[in-house]
Amino acid sequence: MSASPSTAAEPKSGPVGDAGAPPVRGTRGAAKRRSSAVRGGERLAGYTFMTPWLIGTAVLTIGPMAWSLYLSFTDYHLIRGGDWVGMANYTAIFEDPMFFRAVRVTLLYVVIAVPIKLVASLLVAMLLSQQRRGMGFYRAAFYMPSLIAMSVGVALIWKALFSNDGTQDRFMSAFGWDGGGFLGNPEVSILMLVLLAVWSFGAPMVIFLAGLMQVPQELYEAADVDGASKWRKFVHITLPMLSPVIFFNVLMETVGAFQLFGPAYIIGGDAGAPAWSTLFYTVRIYSLAFTDFRMGYASAYAWLLVLAVGIVTIVMFRAAGRLVFYAGEDGR
Amino acid sequence: MISHPYRLRRRSLLAGATGAAALAAAAACGDDGPAGTADDPIEISFEWWGDEARAEVTQQAVDLFQEKNEGIKVRTNFADFPTYWDSMTTRMAAKDLPDVLNMDYSRLLQFGSNGLLMPLEGLVDTSDFLDGFLDTGHVNGELVAVPIAGNTLGLIYRSDWYEAAGVTLQPGYTWADYQNAIRTVTGTLPEGKWGGGDFAGQYHFMELWLRQQGGSFYTEDGKALNFDKAKLVEWWTLNADLQAEGAVPPIDVSSQWAPENGFVLDTIGADPGWDNFLAWYAPTVAENGGTLALAAPPSLDPANLGLYLKPSMQLCISATTEYPEESGKLIDFLLTDPEAIAILGTSRGIPATNVGRENVEIDEVSQAVLDYEASVEQYLTAPPPPPPAATGSIEVKFGEIYQQVQYGELTAAEAVDTFFTEAETLLAAEQ
Repeated sequence: MSASPSTAAEPKSGPVGDAGAPPVRGTRGAAKRRSSAVRGGERLAGYTFMTPWLIGTAVLTIGPMAWSLYLSFTDYHLIRGGDWVGMANYTAIFEDPMFFRAVRVTLLYVVIAVPIKLVASLLVAMLLSQQRRGMGFYRAAFYMPSLIAMSVGVALIWKALFSNDGTQDRFMSAFGWDGGGFLGNPEVSILMLVLLAVWSFGAPMVIFLAGLMQVPQELYEAADVDGASKWRKFVHITLPMLSPVIFFNVLMETVGAFQLFGPAYIIGGDAGAPAWSTLFYTVRIYSLAFTDFRMGYASAYAWLLVLAVGIVTIVMFRAAGRLVFYAGEDGR
Repeated sequence: MISHPYRLRRRSLLAGATGAAALAAAAACGDDGPAGTADDPIEISFEWWGDEARAEVTQQAVDLFQEKNEGIKVRTNFADFPTYWDSMTTRMAAKDLPDVLNMDYSRLLQFGSNGLLMPLEGLVDTSDFLDGFLDTGHVNGELVAVPIAGNTLGLIYRSDWYEAAGVTLQPGYTWADYQNAIRTVTGTLPEGKWGGGDFAGQYHFMELWLRQQGGSFYTEDGKALNFDKAKLVEWWTLNADLQAEGAVPPIDVSSQWAPENGFVLDTIGADPGWDNFLAWYAPTVAENGGTLALAAPPSLDPANLGLYLKPSMQLCISATTEYPEESGKLIDFLLTDPEAIAILGTSRGIPATNVGRENVEIDEVSQAVLDYEASVEQYLTAPPPPPPAATGSIEVKFGEIYQQVQYGELTAAEAVDTFFTEAETLLAAEQ
């Protein structure tokens, strides 16, 4: 840390050396000292202004995280406390059938929900990127659901929509469906949460929209001159130019999907009803911690999630190196 | 006047901050605490679970207590059952329980064995309780909870549907008789209504069934399950035929009833349950034009119904209270003051004290419950020891795992394996 400000100060001492005379050691050193003193003061002021945030992060994020990492090596119980058990929690997890259920449900959700949500948001973003009258209204209207989608109220409405004799059941029954409401049917119950995710595509849509606006029009004009079809333009211009934005959205949505909790908990409860079919990984963590009071074991669960999401992120960044095209980078 | 909105706001903020500082200083000065007189009252807190109606009568009784005991203020709070326990378990970790709190038998050991409850001997008047009611308030030989009311299991059923179907539940009827009754009644009902529910997912009924065979759910020391896997397989396959025939509601239908109930929704004709739940269901059933009745539960052995008197609700004092005597006074008042009893009515069940029974007004439904309890009194046996601290979680798992059987996700044998693993882990974690 202390090295970088003095290195940064180097160019400032440049004019002294350029004055014609050979650089005098003392002057140069003094300038460097003064400059780093000023920098030091600024830095202190900077950190002072940041204290509320720093305290918040230390007390509310880093502290509890470190504590939970410690807990994951104990058999901590809410009242009784706990003892160090080493890796026992971690080895127990891999013999826990509920762990594999929770992983399966979560992966299934990530694999279904993320692509559908991203494709839907890209399609809508392409519609909304056109210059038409009243476009501002439509953009706001399509963005709106994402503001409320994670709320308790919407989850309760969702539950009602997908119950027996609810909207979905009646609508689908008209086409010969006899599976009842999704709410009570473990085969399809996860679709409720997928649809909730797709319905709330506002955030990636806005980012796609911004990305689409950035694609230079002359590329399309050139393609038009060459007689390219709409599909070719999409595949060879839009997608490559959009790839950094696509990468960002895929990453954010995947990481977010792994952590889905609120709606799943409200719709399926802490048992992941019906029949464990909505037992998301985070729901399992919650019920271990707050129904069973096995805080140590739940912490170990939580850290495995951190690890898994970390690995997924790294893999994505690796893949991005080959798949993502950044405009302006030559030779790529 | 509107030109200095910021200054105004800043000033009021400053004033607020000064006020808070002054208050803190004042609080810090009073090192000998409030005196507990009318001029300098002490404050105790009292929390319970229940609905608005219960809160209203409880507040009236508490107001009367404050009138009669100048110098004691009572801060009250209530929530519904799951929310109440979410809050209590979190506050138990922080050792921040209310001075007087409502306790459930299944949670007694969890709180009592961790030293969170104050021994009540000498603080609370225990002379007036009905026989057997105090038995369930002991942890490690010390009385830490007194019951407000008692209840026991019974079969709640729609007498109008059962009569119309010509089915009677003769005393001494067996579980198989009960299943046949469900079959017959379901046959007479329109689609979407059933003569009874699938009872095998209820932990309490399994316990009842085990007690009827001379067994129990947990071992005496509460450290293990007291039945083998074959027993649970038998219990969890009991209703397989009823399910296959459609005589009981399918799980994808009944799982959507919560938090309502089949009786309230007019969809179900019978279910075993706590007898005081009759008061909860009866008004809605009456609105739907039906009638409810109570019968003794089915049994394998007519001489052994497996029943015991369970405290339906208990009152406890937190071990960390500053005012144990005043807290005890409040408990005495709620359980033995004739006026308080008249106000509280049967909202928490039929009182557990003699003076309570004499002074409470008994309505028709309460009378039915009393009649039922009198009719099974000869069958009541000693209650099991307080269930282990992990009971709350085990009860949840029991229903959750049986649901997998109902959905056909697991066979009964697989589900039993899962339940044993989970229950053993939970019991070990709470040792």
